[in-house]
Amino acid sequence: MTATTDDDRPLIEAAQADPARFAELYDRYVDRVYAFVSRRTHDRAAAEDITSEVFQQALAHLDQFEWRGVPFVAWLFRIASNAIADRWRRNARESHDPPADVPDTHELEELERRIILFQLVDRLPDVQRQVIQMRFVEDESIREIAAALGRSEGAVKQLQLRALENLRKGMGRRG
Amino acid sequence: MAEGALVDRLDQTVDVILKRGDATAALRDPELAPLARVAGDLRHYPGPEFKARLRARLQRSTTMSSAIVTTRAREGFTTITPYLTVREAGLLDFLTRAFGAVETYSTQGSGGGVHREVRIGNSMIMIGEGGPVAAVPFRPAEFHVYVEDVDAAFQRALDAGATSIGEPADRPYGERAGFVRDAFGNHWFIATHLGGSSVPEGLRTVTPFLHAEGAARYIGFLKQAFGAVEEGRHDAPEGRVMYARLRIGNGAIELGDAEGPIACMPGGFYLYVGDADGLYEQALAAGAKSLSPPTDQGYGDRVAAVEDSIGNHWFIARPA
Repeated sequence: MTATTDDDRPLIEAAQADPARFAELYDRYVDRVYAFVSRRTHDRAAAEDITSEVFQQALAHLDQFEWRGVPFVAWLFRIASNAIADRWRRNARESHDPPADVPDTHELEELERRIILFQLVDRLPDVQRQVIQMRFVEDESIREIAAALGRSEGAVKQLQLRALENLRKGMGRRG
Repeated sequence: MAEGALVDRLDQTVDVILKRGDATAALRDPELAPLARVAGDLRHYPGPEFKARLRARLQRSTTMSSAIVTTRAREGFTTITPYLTVREAGLLDFLTRAFGAVETYSTQGSGGGVHREVRIGNSMIMIGEGGPVAAVPFRPAEFHVYVEDVDAAFQRALDAGATSIGEPADRPYGERAGFVRDAFGNHWFIATHLGGSSVPEGLRTVTPFLHAEGAARYIGFLKQAFGAVEEGRHDAPEGRVMYARLRIGNGAIELGDAEGPIACMPGGFYLYVGDADGLYEQALAAGAKSLSPPTDQGYGDRVAAVEDSIGNHWFIARPA
């Protein structure tokens, strides 16, 4: 579900008055910002660092966010683009990160599709979700996951297949 | 195709996706392709532990900064205002000619000196001028100042009596910048940001720049003492801090490791906070040295002063 600019307004005004309310904005947008950043960085550590930087900056400068018809998420993407570009310039000799840009319609659709997928992961049966998180987030091998869960490697591969099939079906139902 | 084979083909594809971020080969296999697409998207799935950690860190910083950031700050000021002390007049004239500074307030101090407040762009600087020499430890400082046209501002600074320590040039960090030393010894890193607007997002016209020996340790002190939040940092491979940007309340400072000819130039900062007594105690607990405990001043502010490990003076003030 895409959050609209109007939905954001009360949340932003609440957080501008009381920074402790920022958590609600964070919960709403952390997946999008992460997915946006992750597409432009070559590893998970860099994506996590930059995502942290984006929300720290957004929290610090929330008082500078003004309503000019620009959605809050676009403001977050701009902070992210600048953070990626800064990092890229500073690491120019060591890194292969591409220069930052702003998302086009195609990418925004892709982002929304991924947000739905991430929500589906959270609703998978526990053991399937564990396998997906260990495999894709912690980058563990089938053997390592099997040892951690006390199951055979064959069983873990089956769980991986079931999880991906469930996710694909879930995405199919959403068109 | 038997499912057993699909299980293995899928796992090999996931391996390739995780290692190379590419599932092109799998897309030609009709049974595998839809699953490979899902697996490709899962590379961008944020880890729940990471999300929970970041959420907790943001919450900590909101609790901390609410004690730091005053809701009654003086109009036009942020949490941090650099405080420059000079023995004689002339700095205001330089700032006016080089950067279009405007004096917003001045008053004769009890010790015979003058207290001035000047605005440069959307930033404020305080100047303590003259007075008994013993009470005014004159120490030059360093500043990053953003301008519309760095070449023109650089020339104006030279015309106003500064000397060049680096001609304007495009720098690899996305700025065109030139460096000058004014007649009072302060360093000004004059810059135009090359990313669309002349000032980068999150910064104001003037940002104090500190060079610290042991910058990483010093950043730890700023976090503990003043609830500073690291907004960006670039370390050299051997661990030296090349550049870091920290926020205290809604003000920013930049810093890097001192090395070779780039020496530590400690200065003074006026810090507007909601609870001067609380922050004074917090700074002492973090290792700062007391210069004066919180005291109500004749002009209304309640002010404490501390010195940090690299010699900066922090005037912790609850505004009147």
